[in-house]
Amino acid sequence: MTAESTGTKDRKYEGGVHEKSRELMSAWMGEVGRAEAEHRATAALMISGNCVELLRACHVLPLFPEVTALQAAIRHKSLPLIQRAEQAGYSSDNCAYVKADIGLYLDGGMGPGKPIPFPTVTVCNYVGCNVYVKWFEHLADVSGSKLFMLDVPFLRTTEPSEADVRYVVKQIEELIALLECVSGHKMDIDELREILAHSARAEDGYARCKHLCKRTPAPFDAYFDAINMMGPINVLRGTREAAEFFDDAVREFEDLATRGVGPLPEERFRTVVEGPPPYPYYKSFRNLFAKWGAVAVQSTYSTVGGIWEWGFRHDPRRPLESIAEQMLRENLTNRSIVARYQQIKRYVEEWNADALVIHSVKSCRLFSAGQGDMREYFTKELGVPTLLVESDLEDPRYYSEAQLKNRIDAFFESLEHKKLVASGGHR
Amino acid sequence: MTTETAALLEPRREVGVLSLGDAALRWKAEHPGGRAIACYPVYAPTEVIHAAGMLPMALLGGGTTVELTHADARFQSFVCSIAKSSLELGFQDLVRGVDGFVFSNICDVARNLSSVWARNFSDTFVEYLHLPQNSTSSESSQYLASELRRLASRFAEAFGAPVTDDALRRSIATWNAVRARIRALYALRIDSPEKLPITEFFVALRAATRTAPEESLLRLDALLDTASRRTERPRDRIRVVIEGAFCEQPPPGLLEILEESGCYVVEDDLFLGWRWFTDDVSTDGDPFERLAVAYLDRGVASSTRHEGRQHRSLGVIEKVRRARADAVVFLLPKFCEPALFDYVLIKQGLEREHVPQLVVEFEEKMWTFERTRNEIETFVESMLFD
Amino acid sequence: MNAIVYGAGVDVGSTQSKAVIVDESLRILGRSLIPTGANVVKAADEAFREACENAGIAREAVGCVVGTGYGRFKVTFGDAQITEITCHARGAHSLYPATRTVIDMGGQDTKAIKVGADGSVLDFSMNDKCAAGTGRFLSAAADVTGMTLDEIGPVALHAKDPVRLTSVCTVFVESDILSYMAQKKTVEDVLGGVHKAIASRTMALVRRVGVEDEVTFTGGVSRNIAMVRALEEVLGTRLNVSPEGHFMGALGAAIFALERARVAAARS
Repeated sequence: MTAESTGTKDRKYEGGVHEKSRELMSAWMGEVGRAEAEHRATAALMISGNCVELLRACHVLPLFPEVTALQAAIRHKSLPLIQRAEQAGYSSDNCAYVKADIGLYLDGGMGPGKPIPFPTVTVCNYVGCNVYVKWFEHLADVSGSKLFMLDVPFLRTTEPSEADVRYVVKQIEELIALLECVSGHKMDIDELREILAHSARAEDGYARCKHLCKRTPAPFDAYFDAINMMGPINVLRGTREAAEFFDDAVREFEDLATRGVGPLPEERFRTVVEGPPPYPYYKSFRNLFAKWGAVAVQSTYSTVGGIWEWGFRHDPRRPLESIAEQMLRENLTNRSIVARYQQIKRYVEEWNADALVIHSVKSCRLFSAGQGDMREYFTKELGVPTLLVESDLEDPRYYSEAQLKNRIDAFFESLEHKKLVASGGHR
Repeated sequence: MTTETAALLEPRREVGVLSLGDAALRWKAEHPGGRAIACYPVYAPTEVIHAAGMLPMALLGGGTTVELTHADARFQSFVCSIAKSSLELGFQDLVRGVDGFVFSNICDVARNLSSVWARNFSDTFVEYLHLPQNSTSSESSQYLASELRRLASRFAEAFGAPVTDDALRRSIATWNAVRARIRALYALRIDSPEKLPITEFFVALRAATRTAPEESLLRLDALLDTASRRTERPRDRIRVVIEGAFCEQPPPGLLEILEESGCYVVEDDLFLGWRWFTDDVSTDGDPFERLAVAYLDRGVASSTRHEGRQHRSLGVIEKVRRARADAVVFLLPKFCEPALFDYVLIKQGLEREHVPQLVVEFEEKMWTFERTRNEIETFVESMLFD
Repeated sequence: MNAIVYGAGVDVGSTQSKAVIVDESLRILGRSLIPTGANVVKAADEAFREACENAGIAREAVGCVVGTGYGRFKVTFGDAQITEITCHARGAHSLYPATRTVIDMGGQDTKAIKVGADGSVLDFSMNDKCAAGTGRFLSAAADVTGMTLDEIGPVALHAKDPVRLTSVCTVFVESDILSYMAQKKTVEDVLGGVHKAIASRTMALVRRVGVEDEVTFTGGVSRNIAMVRALEEVLGTRLNVSPEGHFMGALGAAIFALERARVAAARS
């Protein structure tokens, strides 16, 4: 898309960033689809605080079951997969991401677009999410692949202990040995350093993009549009392409910000959004906010893989240690929910938001368990208008449009009234 | 209907128990200067707590007696009962007397609860223990030893209660003795389940999770002695292992229904934390390291500990064999993700071994059991008439 | 000013549609209540027509119509749509100006609304998905005890020892109640337990926005005397309950309509 077309007031959500992201992700999916035929070693990995650089340096192709699951949901193909897993005994109360993924393998690995190979090795980067442990136990079982459990101690205070770092570094060394064995390629530490330098550049670009949303209007929606940056930052991190992608993204968004162009014709409300999106109804959910001119200027979901906006970068001079630190400390998932309150508080203050929107998904208790308490904290202790709505990130059966619409409309009706009163206007 | 007749009609509905806080206060009255620390009934670092001169207690939620009026506003409807009712105990001041809470990485809900708890009750001691999920790394046992040492130093900081190596060795010996008694009671039940009904056993185990180990030893000995001298005639019932209620414990009424409907419960995963090690923990050498090694190598098979060396179902199949059980009854707490996930792997393993199985879902607040009684009776009939 | 200005509110709910006509002094001139049924657009139109008839005015005399409720976008002849949350707050405030908290209990959901001094919504909270505890739950309880919805409230008031319910799940309420009946519990105690369970569920909801006096109880269930008493007990305060409780959403919508009609009339 050219700058002219993005300059029009009723610009679509699409832009260069979106197109480039789709291209890059689809190239990766293509590689994944060919892996079996090309006899390439693959490893399944989780998104949260991942160590994809290690896989790259060991010449192992990464698979991300979460990405496969969300793509199935966006293409309205998740329900049959979930039902397939439920027939095998999974409960309606189990995380639907897991069910969609297991359902896919029970069905022989036909992905939402291309076939998904059975992984050669399953690397569970257990970063905060306890369901990850179960998920990858099950995935290893259904795919017959070897499971490596990379146990990352939960961030109990603000800093990991020396013992935490030592434990993770040791496991990273053990993982490298396994990956080398799987791919037959001995890892070259200088190659890893180069990969980490690409990572740091991409992280820098992603952070700059997010800081641009402090401008009014924000040049993109930091929840709905950020998804397009999450692929490159979490899946393709460590490649030259991902680093260049973010160089371009910064240019595109800087240009939009300079010209005062945002994703909606008018930015009437600035929100911070907490929680993953409802992938099966991504567009309709977005429209419920767009209608009110509500733009997300920050989101927590965009930091599940890593929190980059506060300066942390992978460091080629300290390769294994900086990978360990990122997994332990610099991602949302391995931090407590109350630490997340502080992250959101900074977002509301520094990004100058009017309100907090909590999308509570049943599947992911790591995100959602306790969001009622979060709501208490923001409304009662900080006085930040907060909306809590419920659905799911993967299971379309939990999405009720009428219910959501009612709550969202009522919330913005009230917010509009408050703004009017604050500006001295009359009803 | 009078309360008395109601009690006659429903003898099983409730086993009168003190609130957690009152139980702690009672113990502290007898032990001036003592402190009480509560943990969920899955792995609990009882030795470290005890070696600091404190009473380890199981946090078992609110049972059927506590109405949720605060916790529901903090945790959503799809969160398990025990998490919400535990928090409710805090809001209703029913844990006054408990000086601290130690949570660990058993599930995502417990993880979040730990920090929500600390936020809402900021003057209470709350610690979060990271239990290793990598059972095969060369660093895992060192790591866990360092976690247990960290816990000990937090106790020293907060309560001025340091844990010396010698005290910890003595605590290990004491808890080894408690676990040996519990193992003996399980052995009795496997041998002659008619001598010790599950509800009686359940109540005794529950008492052990809030009693000092020295006293538990006496009580458990007395129970073993009484039960072994009983001369009940065995009935025509099926022998079952129950699995899944490792954190949120089933209402005693549900267990009673199980036996009334024709089952003998010969193995289970109730109150696991108080019998975590399948064998004595060594009292030589560095006691923190000994505990850590035992956790990794001689821990019970559990839904909260990843075991990289064997399939999840094998632990249960081994239990079925050892207890000479005919079937497995899954008692799955509503919304408990670890139990619901493990159920699938265990179920598949049992199917391969042709072990019959039944699934019963329960909630802490469950009050009527007719639907469940139906399911269990039908299952028992199908097995006895085969 | 020459012509009299009227406002109409049409509240299209999941089971019933309600319409209210108000005049400039916010007096209710007419109202209607009809089942929503399958044809929502028709129900909205019908409710509006009946309310006009009841008020004795012609449709054309109404200056502005505001649609509310789940079917608010089906009020095709309406001039604006406003959620019933905003409308209930406004309606309750007009009848009880000191209202600071509104509890609205309808067929498929329960809402707790924190209201400002001007009748605007400051905060609100609605029941979670799996936690019914609403009018629908009461209907299920009425069905299984063989009574009508209007009968169960007065009966429940006579409960001596209300039973405890396993959950407030509408799916399981029948078997729970049946098993209590099998245990020879009285219908009064069973229904008392049903009301108590919903009240304690609602309490959790109200706590989310904070309880502040005065509390006004609206929605269809506000006509149920046992629910009023059960809520008063858990809240520890008296509730404002109006005979118009059922029409509160439509009333609020009608007031918004009137305000808009006034602005339009002033312009012309």
